[in-house]
Amino acid sequence: MKVVTGVIGNDIHVVANRLMDLSLNARGYEVFNLGVNTYLEEFFDAAVETGADILLISSLNGEAEGWSREVKMLKAGYQSLDNLIMMIGGNLSVGSGNAEDIIPRYKNYGFDLVCHQVDLNTGLDMLDSYLQEHRPS
Amino acid sequence: MTANDNRLLIDIGSTYFKVSSKDHIEQHFRDFNKRILDDLMQKCGKTVQAFAPENIHICSSANGGLSSLIIGLTHSYSLKYATNIAYNAGINIIDSIIFQDIEDYSIPSDLVDVVIVVGGIDSNGNLFDTRLDTYLSKVNYSNVVYVGNATDAQALSARIERLTVLPNIIDNRLHIVEEHLKDYLTNLYQQDIEGKEDIKHLYDITGNQIYSTPYIVSQSLPSIHGKFSVTDPFILLDIGGATTDVHYSKDLISDNIVTEQGHDRIVFKKLGVYKSRQSLIFTAENNEYAYELLMHLKVTENIYNEHSEKATKILMQLAIFLVLCKMSHYRPMYVTLRLLTMNSIVFTGGITKVLTEDDIKDVVAFFYRKILNSDHKPATVLDTNYDIWTLGAATLVSQASHAAVDHAGSGVTTNSPGAVNSHSGAQEQSTCP
Repeated sequence: MKVVTGVIGNDIHVVANRLMDLSLNARGYEVFNLGVNTYLEEFFDAAVETGADILLISSLNGEAEGWSREVKMLKAGYQSLDNLIMMIGGNLSVGSGNAEDIIPRYKNYGFDLVCHQVDLNTGLDMLDSYLQEHRPS
Repeated sequence: MTANDNRLLIDIGSTYFKVSSKDHIEQHFRDFNKRILDDLMQKCGKTVQAFAPENIHICSSANGGLSSLIIGLTHSYSLKYATNIAYNAGINIIDSIIFQDIEDYSIPSDLVDVVIVVGGIDSNGNLFDTRLDTYLSKVNYSNVVYVGNATDAQALSARIERLTVLPNIIDNRLHIVEEHLKDYLTNLYQQDIEGKEDIKHLYDITGNQIYSTPYIVSQSLPSIHGKFSVTDPFILLDIGGATTDVHYSKDLISDNIVTEQGHDRIVFKKLGVYKSRQSLIFTAENNEYAYELLMHLKVTENIYNEHSEKATKILMQLAIFLVLCKMSHYRPMYVTLRLLTMNSIVFTGGITKVLTEDDIKDVVAFFYRKILNSDHKPATVLDTNYDIWTLGAATLVSQASHAAVDHAGSGVTTNSPGAVNSHSGAQEQSTCP
């Protein structure tokens, strides 16, 4: 399966991004890593160009929420992304915040999978489970 | 005496032609009632006849370059990459189309020299359905080239007549692959120049390839520091009679395009002070700050209707301002330059014959103050003697000489650098008559 991933906005947490890339590759995904400092439109455009199945956005500096508010509106402009699985992970709030509040909020923004302050392998296990449930091969 | 000392360099512009030899450089206003060759020989016949054809090197921008229409899948990748390659090959872009919305776009009324279709990495396919065929059937074009995913190439070749297929410009890591499309477009441009009736006759006086002027200027950029006090990053503005060319350091853009070259080029086709005068005035009338600039320059909009030295001067100042606006966040276009980090602006072309350094500095300062709210003052460098063009032409001549020596030794014949490709497989090698 093809995954487009990267760090959203003006966020330069490159180590986390590299770990994501390695872990996804190790699990057999075909990874298109856009790296740090990636804007939302570039994520969607990359999904179109690659024919990606999954878009996995990461964020550590707290910018995610501002960008995520535009996800539904922007994604609606693309005719070929209806089946794209949307996932986001990292530190999804500025300051303190709990998962019970944050996860429904991000799902409302248009994400299928939301991992707030969850370790990488647990998050990718969630993705595997989601795929087994929704896209059994 | 170096090999370059014995060369005559000629640049045919849309308004002027320039002739440069070791000792001097001369510039003449073109007589549009005459063929270029006749005009040139009448005004500079003695100079031209003093050189053997193999020592005369000519470049031209007089035909304004080729026009292209780009059809791609996304702004961030396919359209952006194709646009970048086209501009660097000296091609003008009349429109960019997102394929999914192709039915909403109008059909260009003019003949399009080349349509570029691009999109998808090679492992992604079936992206271009029959809407592409329907659209193309309504467009009046001379060439169509496909540089998208490999999966769709065969089907499109069967459906679209005279389709040239080249390797994908997007690799499997979503990086740009410039080589093949750039060579193809450079070839087309060269063939266009050679095919122009007016330009053809110039081969009577030269035994060398005639190049496009933007290509010549781009050759000078890596060694520009040896000739001028230019601090990186910089932009070079060539404001001419018909078009304005901007060559800029890639340090001035934040981009997902990774290439080896240090400079890119963009062209504003209808921004000039002679042939494109009306278009320039139209652009100025639609810029809310242009009126303030006119006030700052102590003239009114009546200057647009005047044909005097003063009017030309004001139009040139306007042209500088409008180009900077187009490259800034104020009028975002294909690229937005980080103009606050720019250290030098180099001016070349006819503008340096009309404006003084103070005239230019005044407009640049006005732009920074009004549009960027800054007192930033990049150094202004004027190429008053066409040294940049001479440098580029001399660089090219020197490269060609070395290549000829190398290949003579190896028994291989090839083209001059950058003129025509031999490896894209799409075009035959073009040769001088």
